[in-house]
Amino acid sequence: MKTRLAALSLALAAITAPAFAHHSGAMFEPVKEVTLKGVIKEFQWTNPHAWIQVNVPDASGKLVEWSIECASPNTMSRGGWKKSILKPGDQVTIVTHPMKDGTSAGSLVSVTLADGTTLGFAGPAPAPKPQ
Amino acid sequence: MIRALHLATFALVLALAPAACAQPAKTVPAFSALPDWSGAWVRATGNFYESTPEQALQPAPPANSPRQHPPYTPKFEAIYQDNLKRIAADRYPDPVSVCGTPAGWPRMLATPDAYEFVVRPEQTWLLSENGPNVVRIYTDGRDHPPADEMWTTFTGNNVGHWEGDTLVFHSIGMKGVGSTILGRAGVVMSDHLEVTTRIRKVEPDRLLVTMVLKDPEALTKPWPVAFTFKRLPPDSFIYDYACAENNRNPVTADGRTLTLDTKGEVIDKGQ
Repeated sequence: MKTRLAALSLALAAITAPAFAHHSGAMFEPVKEVTLKGVIKEFQWTNPHAWIQVNVPDASGKLVEWSIECASPNTMSRGGWKKSILKPGDQVTIVTHPMKDGTSAGSLVSVTLADGTTLGFAGPAPAPKPQ
Repeated sequence: MIRALHLATFALVLALAPAACAQPAKTVPAFSALPDWSGAWVRATGNFYESTPEQALQPAPPANSPRQHPPYTPKFEAIYQDNLKRIAADRYPDPVSVCGTPAGWPRMLATPDAYEFVVRPEQTWLLSENGPNVVRIYTDGRDHPPADEMWTTFTGNNVGHWEGDTLVFHSIGMKGVGSTILGRAGVVMSDHLEVTTRIRKVEPDRLLVTMVLKDPEALTKPWPVAFTFKRLPPDSFIYDYACAENNRNPVTADGRTLTLDTKGEVIDKGQ
């Protein structure tokens, strides 16, 4: 899996910049990123966007459901995603551009699975940002 | 004998006449003479409509390369500036968000999903997975219909020809501002827009699309822009794109894009 993703990341590096298939992305912070550690509730493998529903404990320990928007399953599948990659109960770490108004939702930057596999918005994990 | 030959010749001409009339115009090339644009393609990075050919031909055009400013007339400059304010305030709706109308031409080339460029002698079809959208380009020698037989449509009327391995076509009759946008960076045109497009394979897995946009209402001079497309691996599939399947981003009457939860309830805190 990791080998295939590494190969894909080389082939697709230039075409995986987040771009929303059918609506404005103005509701998301363009630069700010938030890291969430939580448990998958549902993975919607649908058009026009796939969605990750993930329960994340807040500062008080109360579980908050976040809605994380991905690319289309069409583009994601060509970038190494599968609909079976995320299952309810999976522990994940998600990096997201959160919504500007504080809503518990955002656009996916990356998701890391328990086995260390990391996937990005539309396919391979995004390249590390220059320091 | 001679009379018999004349009769035979006349009969032959009569027999061949319908077939001769049905021959395509002389501008239609043989299929074998056309370039191979098969496979699935995706847009390379770079700004929508705002890259010069030089920027587009860089090995990896930057996602945020410097934007060209459309050479707008005062009227459309004011519309553009208002659009920029609407974008900043999240009040610049994308018409395709309602999942009911096509992206239109040339906007359909500005989506993040895959494309096919189906080359045939008498037509070329540009197919976008996103939408999906279809643009038909007639290359059988026909011209645009007379003005009184046309009405504005999303993809307009597209006729062209081949210059060697380059497809050249002219597009008119597209719906303008109010019905379509050219991208989410605020660029719009009027319904007097005409576009001349040239598509050529510049590398084995790379197509260069250059356009010159002319619009007597919106632009003070022709505006050249360019895109490139990269070919995906040969085993790539194209899939359904059903925009209304799970659209969790409806748009309000004042142009704000909302976010819904899995039950269809609005979750935006700003609402």
